[in-house]
Amino acid sequence: MGNLSTVGHLTWLHLLQSVLPVVLGTLISIPIARFAAGRRARGAGGRRGAGRVRRGVVVNAAALLYTVPSLALFVLLPLILGTSITSLTNVIVALTLYVVAMMVRSCVDAFESVSPEVLDAGTAMGYRPLRAFFGIELPLSVPVMAAGLRVALVSNISMVSVGAVIGIQSLGTLFTDGLRRDLMAEIVVGILATVVLALVLDRLVTWSAAALTRWQVRA
Amino acid sequence: MPETAATAIEFAGVTKRYESAVAVEDLDLAIPAGLITTFVGPSGCGKTTSLRMINRMVEATEGTILIQGEDNRDRPAHELRRSMGYVMQQAGLMPHRTVADNIATVPRLKGASRADGRARALELMDTVGLDRKLAKRYPAQLSGGQAQRVGVARALAADSPILLMDEPFSAVDPVVRTDLQNELVRLHEQLERTIVFVTHDIDEAVALGHRIAVFGEGGRIAQFGTPEEILRAPADDFVASFVGRDRGLRRLTFASGQELPMHPLEGGTASGLERPWAPWELLLDDAARPAGWRFGEREVTGGTLFTPGGSLREALDAVLSSPSGWGVAVDDAGRAAGLIASDDVMAAAGRERRSRYGVGE
Ligand SMILES: Nc1ncnc2c1ncn2[C@@H]1O[C@H](COP(=O)(O)OP(=O)(O)OP(=O)(O)O)[C@@H](O)[C@H]1O
Ligand SMILES: [Mg+2]
Repeated sequence: MGNLSTVGHLTWLHLLQSVLPVVLGTLISIPIARFAAGRRARGAGGRRGAGRVRRGVVVNAAALLYTVPSLALFVLLPLILGTSITSLTNVIVALTLYVVAMMVRSCVDAFESVSPEVLDAGTAMGYRPLRAFFGIELPLSVPVMAAGLRVALVSNISMVSVGAVIGIQSLGTLFTDGLRRDLMAEIVVGILATVVLALVLDRLVTWSAAALTRWQVRA
Repeated sequence: MPETAATAIEFAGVTKRYESAVAVEDLDLAIPAGLITTFVGPSGCGKTTSLRMINRMVEATEGTILIQGEDNRDRPAHELRRSMGYVMQQAGLMPHRTVADNIATVPRLKGASRADGRARALELMDTVGLDRKLAKRYPAQLSGGQAQRVGVARALAADSPILLMDEPFSAVDPVVRTDLQNELVRLHEQLERTIVFVTHDIDEAVALGHRIAVFGEGGRIAQFGTPEEILRAPADDFVASFVGRDRGLRRLTFASGQELPMHPLEGGTASGLERPWAPWELLLDDAARPAGWRFGEREVTGGTLFTPGGSLREALDAVLSSPSGWGVAVDDAGRAAGLIASDDVMAAAGRERRSRYGVGE
């Protein structure tokens, strides 16, 4: 059985490769989604012609990006970035793109879930746009955004494992190595470690979101 | 009610045009300072649009709006908005902020410290009759009536002479609505702000407004005047039909019931008869407050009460709702003060009608 420090190192690599892209991807998705979201703090007006087209283009482009197979992306990106396939940068960039593909849609939904009356009230009280965004719109988008974030995080964790097939170091390496050397124990450790990692991170997101949304009435 | 008030808000030739429709057309209106002006009219006639042009939530296409003589475009929009309170239909509270933080919104935007904002919020909770215990609750944990009070407190926190209210009480049940209306009248007397109040309920417009602007189709003013003027002399058929079926009854709201003959509880004198309401007998509690009527063995709940300074409408209702057909008048302490007869109320209504048209008795 592989020694503990190897497992620890691989867990760290896995963690880095799954969390960093989620953070980066979400930060990138928020402005894109805000730009595309249909509803504005403009009261009765609602969604207009140009706005609808913009939303459609952005949401569909994100969906299209998501259909590119992850392995293909790992292999294709180096051609554009000039990095090596197994470099950390390559993995991070590829997975960040995936998170953007997933999160843009969630964030658009999240912004559209904010009640226009509340945004109107903000305007009526004398909020300026930037403060209204950070003080009202963003905090109120958290519940819907967090749901998307959980999905993105968990699917990211499994995608990091897939990278092991082309030699990217992560907990997935324990499966590929275990399979090659026919070591059942190594495979089991890899699976368990991955599951534990996914569960812990998922809980973490859920708890943070709950802490940020204490204002919601719970059933 | 001061009769000649200064103008707080003036619309001069204001038009709002959308691609699809004209929401408000060539509006000229002078809203008096220190009074409640209600905007009333059917749905889609431009009440909200007119109100929102005051604080520039909606920008006018043509014309100018003067606030205390100053063009409202002379200041940045956000400053203008912080300088007047705004209450909306569903309260529009920030769901992620506590009651106290919601109320302190405008002071905080203006740069007040957290502690100052909170202190001000607690004061305002007292002003609008909210229990301070609710300060740390979130809006989702409030009843509709409480949420509206928070909305009003938040608008008052702007500390401005002007308060804009867009159908603030239309989403709460009738009992709570009456409470909130009374509270608003009390607040107004206490704070003397200029209030512009949008409603599509003529009763609410009459109950609250010192002045009423009746909006007609296409955002034009069909009539502007005191409630009495509008009920007494509707400018046209549109206003007459909008003011509605109960116009005659509503008009009694403006006729004083002070002159009504008061029949003493012991009977005698005024009526000649010993107790003209016999066989009914008025019941009183220990504090001499009316407690219903007795007829033989049966005890029944009493009707509405006629309070000092009440209108003829109140007197008529007291008579009509009383099991004995005799209205019960009470004094300021709520003690039974005398009884009023239906014939006297009808006679007073007749006198009011004749004097209105200048026909002698
Ligand atoms: N943003 C907008 N774009 C296009 N038309 C609008 C817009 N806002 C309002 N209108 C139109 O302007 C007219 C007046 O609307 P407004 O909201 O002022 O009516 P209202 O009197 O407040 O009605 P209600 O009693 O239903 O609230 C309506 O015909 C409405 O459809
Ligand atoms: Mg309206």
